[in-house]
Amino acid sequence: MKWALFIAVGLPLLVGPWLGLLGRALGRRVGWVAFAFPVLSTAALLWLAARPGPAAARISEWPWIPSLGIPLAFLADGLALFFGLIVSGMGVLVFWYANFYLDAHYRHHGRFYAYLTLFMAAMLGTVLANHLLLLFVFWELTGLASFLLIGFLHEEEASRVGARQALLVTGFTGLLLLAGILMVRQVTGTFALDELLRAGLPAGAHRGWLTAALLLLVLGAFGKSAQFPFHFWLPNAMAAPTPVSAYLHSATMVKLGVFLCARLFPLFVAHELWAPLLSWIGFGTMVLGAVLALQSHDLKAILAFSTVSQLGYLIGYYGLGATAGVEHDYLHILNHVLYKGGLFMIAGVVIHSTGLQDIRHLGGLGRRLPWLAGAGAVLAATMAGVIGTTGFLSKEMMLKEILEALRPHGTLGSYAAGCVLVTSVIKVAFAARFFTNVFLGPEPAAVKARFHAPPLPLQLPPLLLAAAAIGFGVFPRWLDPALDALAVPGLHRPADHLALWHGVTLEFLTSLGVLVLGAGLYGFGQRTAWRWARISPALRFDAFFEAGLGAFFRFTRGLTRTLQADRPVSYLPVVLAFALTLVGGWTAYALFRSGEALPGWVSEAARGVDWLRAFAAGLIALAALGVVGVRRWTTQVIALSVAGFLTTFYFVLHRAPDLALTQILVEVVTLILVLLLLGRFPRSAERGERTWRPPPGRRLLNGVLAVSVGGLMSTLVLWVNARPAAERVGDRLAAQTVDLAEGTNAVNTTLVDFRGFDTLGEITVLLIATLGALGLLMRYKRTPEEYRQGPLGAPGMGVHHPGEDRP
Amino acid sequence: MSLETALLIGVLFGCATWLVLHHSFVKILFGFVLLSNAANLFLLSMSGSPDGREAPIAGQTAGPLVDPLPQALILTAIVIGFGVTAYLVILLYRLFLDQKTTNAAELFAEQDTSERT
Repeated sequence: MKWALFIAVGLPLLVGPWLGLLGRALGRRVGWVAFAFPVLSTAALLWLAARPGPAAARISEWPWIPSLGIPLAFLADGLALFFGLIVSGMGVLVFWYANFYLDAHYRHHGRFYAYLTLFMAAMLGTVLANHLLLLFVFWELTGLASFLLIGFLHEEEASRVGARQALLVTGFTGLLLLAGILMVRQVTGTFALDELLRAGLPAGAHRGWLTAALLLLVLGAFGKSAQFPFHFWLPNAMAAPTPVSAYLHSATMVKLGVFLCARLFPLFVAHELWAPLLSWIGFGTMVLGAVLALQSHDLKAILAFSTVSQLGYLIGYYGLGATAGVEHDYLHILNHVLYKGGLFMIAGVVIHSTGLQDIRHLGGLGRRLPWLAGAGAVLAATMAGVIGTTGFLSKEMMLKEILEALRPHGTLGSYAAGCVLVTSVIKVAFAARFFTNVFLGPEPAAVKARFHAPPLPLQLPPLLLAAAAIGFGVFPRWLDPALDALAVPGLHRPADHLALWHGVTLEFLTSLGVLVLGAGLYGFGQRTAWRWARISPALRFDAFFEAGLGAFFRFTRGLTRTLQADRPVSYLPVVLAFALTLVGGWTAYALFRSGEALPGWVSEAARGVDWLRAFAAGLIALAALGVVGVRRWTTQVIALSVAGFLTTFYFVLHRAPDLALTQILVEVVTLILVLLLLGRFPRSAERGERTWRPPPGRRLLNGVLAVSVGGLMSTLVLWVNARPAAERVGDRLAAQTVDLAEGTNAVNTTLVDFRGFDTLGEITVLLIATLGALGLLMRYKRTPEEYRQGPLGAPGMGVHHPGEDRP
Repeated sequence: MSLETALLIGVLFGCATWLVLHHSFVKILFGFVLLSNAANLFLLSMSGSPDGREAPIAGQTAGPLVDPLPQALILTAIVIGFGVTAYLVILLYRLFLDQKTTNAAELFAEQDTSERT
C-alpha cells in the first residue's frame, strides 16, 4: 500500500524536477522519460483500486513535521482514487500527446516536462491527502505548477498576463481555503479527513464558525474551479501550450473545486447555506460560461468557457444533492473529461497543423484529416448530448435529477432547471459550430497555404477518448462495476444502473427538444455568420481585474514615492518623528497607567537643586543655545567649546574626576580638529550656507521635533529618578574594587577589570575610525590644476547658489 | 535627582536635534558633538544625586560613594564619541574636496540636475 502510494505520488514529486536537467542532455526526447511517470502512477493507483478493504485500511502515514503534528497522511478511498485515476490516466494521454505536440519549434523541453510531472504529482497529492494542511500544500503546489505552465511561453505578453491572473486568483482563494481549514480545525480539533468524515461536524454552539468555514472553503473551490466571479482567469490560462490546456485547464486542475465540494459534501450538506450558495453561483456560472462560449471565436476560448460552464454545473449539482447522497456525479465528471480533454486535443492538432486559432478562418479540414474529423464529430456530439454517447447518458441523468430536485428545492429548483435547459440548448449550438466550422465547408485559402499534416500519433489520444465516449455511451454497463467499486458512503447513495434506453420518458422528450432548439440556434448563427457574437465589455471581468491590478500598482508606487526620499536629510525627520511617536506615545501611556504625575516629580526634583550646579547648567544651556543662535562658524565653534568645557566642570560637580580629565582632553583635541577643518573651507562656502534656508514648513517641523526630543528626554530623566532606587550594580563594584581588582579607583577598575571587554570594543572602534579616516585621506588624488592652486583650490571655489551673486 | 540636570539634558538634546536636522554638514557636525555631550549627561543622570556622596575612590572616606558604573560607561562613550567626531571631520573634508560643497541641499540639487539631463 505504502509502496504503491510512493510510486504514484512520491516518485514523480521527487524525481520529476530532475527532468529539467535531463532535458539539457536529451532535448525533446526527455518527454519519453517523463512518459514513464503517469504510466507508473496509473498502474499503482489501479493496483490500489483493485485492492479490497475497509476505509480504515486505506490510510497510510509517513512522519513529516512531528513537532507540529503534521504527517504525510494519505487516504485512498473511492473518491480519491476516482480523481487520481482521472489525473494519471489523462496524464498518460497528455504526456504522449505532448511528445508529438512540442516539436523542435519549442525550447526548454526538460523544463516543460518537469513542470508537468510536478503538476501531476501535486494533483495526486491533493486528491489523496488525508490531512487537511497537506491537502492545502498540494493544492497550492498545483496552482504554482499551473502558473509555470501557463507562463511557459514567457516571451509572449498574453502568457505572462494569463499566468499572473491564474496565480493571483487561485493563490488568493487558496489562502481563503487555508483559513477555512483552520476554522474547521478550531471547531473539531482535528485536521484528519477520515476522522472528520467518520464523526461529522458538531452542531449547535459552533454554528457561526462553521458558516464562516463553509464560506471560505467554498470560495477556495470557486477560485480553483473558475466560478463566478473568478471565472475570468480560465480563458486567459489558454495561453499555455495546448497539452497543458487539455490537462490542467479542462480535465484535472480546475476539477479540484469540484473535488473539494465532493469531499465536503458529507460534512456540510445539511448546512442551510450549502444548497443556495453552491447552486445559485454554480448554475449562474453555467449559463454565463455557455453564453460566453457561444460569443467567442477562438477555438480554445470556446472550449475554455464551456469548461467554466460545465464546472458550474458540477458544483451546482453537489449543491442540489439530497442529504442521502448523489448518484451520478462520477458519470458527469468522466463524461466531461472525455469530451473536453478530447476536444482540446483536437483543437491542438488543428492549431499545430494550420497555425490558426480563430474558428472564422478555419474550415474544410475533414477532407485532410478524416480520422480526426470522426473523433471531432463523436466528441462534439458528446458535448451536445446526442444519443449513443456518454454525453447523452449524462444529460439524461442531469435532467432526471434536476426534475427530481424541482420539488424539494422550490425556487432554487426552478432556477436550476431553467439554467440547465438554457445551457443545454446553447451547448448544442456551439458544439455543432465547433465541428462544422472546423471540419466541414469550403477550405479557406489561409488553411490551404499553411496546412502541414500532423503526425498520426498526435491524433491517437483524441481518437481513444472518442472511442471511450462512444463505447461507454452505447454500453454503459461497462462502467457500472468501476463506478460501484469507487462509490463512497456518505457522498453516494445506491444508484440505478445506467442503461442506454430508458424508454420514452420526460427526460428523453426534453432532451429531444433541447437538440431541436439547439439546432435552431445553430442554424440562426450560421445564417448570420455569427456576426452578433461578441463578448460585451461589461462581461470582460479579466479587463476589470487587470485594471484593478494596474490601479493597485499605481497606488503602491505613489505611496512609496511619497514615503521614500533619496536623501538622508529628508529621511531623518521621518525616522525621528516615528521614534518620537513610538517612545513618546508609550511613555505617555505608561504615565497615564501608573497614575503618577509629572508636576509631582518636578516639585520633588526642585527640592534637590544645588545652586552651583544650577549655575553651571544654565551656562551650558546658554552656550548650547548660542551654537544654535549665532551665524558664523567660528563663533559657533567657540560656543560649542564653551559648552564642552563647562560640561567638564559639571562632571567635577558630579564627583567624577576621571570624566573631567578625559572630557577636557577630548574637548581640546576636538576644538583643534574642527578649527583645522573650518580653516580649509573658503569663505564662500560659509556665505553660501547662509543664503540657503529651508522652507518655513520644514523649519517648523524641525523646531517641533527638536522641542519634542528635548521634552521627552527631560521627562525620561525625571521619571527614572523619581522611581525608588533599585540595588545598584555600581555599588557592588565600588565595594569590591580593592578586594577583587586591587585598585582603589572604582571607575578605573571597572574599565580595565570588571568590564574589560567594553574597553576592548572601544579601542576597536577607535582603530576602525582611524583606518576609515586614513582611507578617506589617502585615496584622494588632486588634479595638477588643484596642486597649482594650493590647498584651498581656486579662488571663489565653494558654494554657488542660483541667484546668489552678491557678496 | 535635581531638576537642573533634567532641564539641561532637555535643552542639549533639543539643540542637538535642531542642528542635526539642518542641511549644512558643518551644522550636522556641531549637532553631533552636542548630541554626544547630551548623551553623556543623560547617562550621568542615571547615577542619582551626588549630594552627600564622595567620588568613587575606595578607602578615602567612610561616606557613601557615587555610582561608578555610569562613569565608566561615560568614559568609554566620550572616547568613542571623539573617534566618531574625528571620522566625521575627515569625511566632511573629503566630501568638500570631492563635491566642492558643504551643504546637502546643494549636493543633491546637483545630483538631481545630472539625473534629469
